[in-house]
Amino acid sequence: MASIKVQSLRKEFVTSDSTVVALENASFEASGHVFVSIVGPSGCGKSTLLNILSGIETPTSGIAEITEGDKKARNGYVFQAARLLPWRTVMDNLLFVQKDRDAETRERCQRYLEMVDLGHTANKYPGQLSGGMQQRVGIARAFSIEPDVLLMDEPFSHLDAITGRSLRKELHHIWMETRKTVLFVTHDVGEAVELSNRMVIFGQGGRLREDMKIDLPFPRDPADDAVALTKANVLRTFEELDLVAS
Amino acid sequence: MVHPKGDMATKSAAKGDLKAGREPATDQEQKALLKKRADRRSRWIWRLAGYVFFIGIWQFSSTYLVEDFILPPPLTILETMQEIVTSGLLVTHFGATLEKIAIGFSLAFIIGAFIGILMGMNRWWEAFFSDWVLILMTTPGLIFVLVSTMVFGLSYIGPIVAVVITGFPYVAVNLVEGVKAAPKDLTDMARSYNVSRARLIRHVIIPFLAPFIFTAIRYGFSIAWKVATLTEVIGGNEGIGFMMRREFQSFSMAGFLSWALLFFAFALFLERIVLQRQIDRFFRWRPEVTS
Repeated sequence: MASIKVQSLRKEFVTSDSTVVALENASFEASGHVFVSIVGPSGCGKSTLLNILSGIETPTSGIAEITEGDKKARNGYVFQAARLLPWRTVMDNLLFVQKDRDAETRERCQRYLEMVDLGHTANKYPGQLSGGMQQRVGIARAFSIEPDVLLMDEPFSHLDAITGRSLRKELHHIWMETRKTVLFVTHDVGEAVELSNRMVIFGQGGRLREDMKIDLPFPRDPADDAVALTKANVLRTFEELDLVAS
Repeated sequence: MVHPKGDMATKSAAKGDLKAGREPATDQEQKALLKKRADRRSRWIWRLAGYVFFIGIWQFSSTYLVEDFILPPPLTILETMQEIVTSGLLVTHFGATLEKIAIGFSLAFIIGAFIGILMGMNRWWEAFFSDWVLILMTTPGLIFVLVSTMVFGLSYIGPIVAVVITGFPYVAVNLVEGVKAAPKDLTDMARSYNVSRARLIRHVIIPFLAPFIFTAIRYGFSIAWKVATLTEVIGGNEGIGFMMRREFQSFSMAGFLSWALLFFAFALFLERIVLQRQIDRFFRWRPEVTS
């Protein structure tokens, strides 16, 4: 079982004329088959947290680690933009992040492409696919390494409402099937309510302001009364916490 | 996927597309391919028209305007060119020039790439090199030709040194821009997936730098040509430039023009056929069909 542990984490970005503190004393834990959404206003350091957890950034001080048993966990990262190599085919994009490139790995990659309904695009280049399809390739890539934890940074925010909705459904389905730990950063409360069973609200500097369980049955329809009500309650909490940008 | 079969145009279009690892799937893609072929055909017609036009002017001038010894008619030049080719002079002298360019430009590329990458990655090294690279780039090639001829005399090394010194700044300057624009989103992605450094360089850095590298080769190579022939004109004892000087000294316009034209033809061949092929192969991922 994978577990995420963040403890008194601090991250500063030093530019030529100032120091920006992105995270200050951020702490947070999660483990098991959970779908945790991190919501918060822009600039609250939620993306920075994912970047540190994935190893792209290094923390200034504090702890940020993801473990599987007693060893380092494997993370799959889905970014805001698909971040595919435009000069490699879809299949080669998946192979790019694999340890091996044997027949078995190839087969696995093909399987995950089929999971997002893109098995037929293996030999296409990303430029030949629509934005939504590219994002699905990004999701297949993250799953194809069979990660312990999935990190997602506003993966649907660049897509139109309809594409976003069908991808959310797809993601929920895959999450139920693969039983991974998912850490999902978003600024869209509706999206968070629809997908997650735990929601964490960050304030400035990544300070934990609210940690709530969402105990609604899946699948969740955003038009459903209970879901809409929960969303309204969360938004009210936002206002009470005075997080809404003024 | 159903492979379209039909008239000639569709067939060869599909073949060209297979090479690029795709197959035209929809009617729309088919139409776009046909349109592309038609477009290519009219470009060739215009190109040929250009040749007819300029050779026509040449023929006209040599027939009605100037004496033959100043501007020989195209047919005379063609005969002289044929003589040069059949006598084996072409192979000897092109070989000599090409060898210098090959060695010189390879060295220029290695040095230029090294300095360019260093400058692009680190601003201290950029400060260290930038003015010197700029100075070398703005100095006329002729100056290095004269200097290297004075230093190395008629030896084989002179032209190579001149080619290296004039060529590498172009490579460096182009690569600096490329390295500076490195795609951080993709390198970060690779990092988050623990992709090895070797794989990162091979699948991210080099494909990204390819356009900059090709521009560098284009400029650098054209400079190398000019400088190598120039050194032969001034101080060589073999090579294309040397033969041009000989024809010049015996005031044989026909001989001079023949060598010059053979030179053009060869440069054109390298640029349009050899280099363009590589470029097309490298950039086949670029979407051609825009909807």
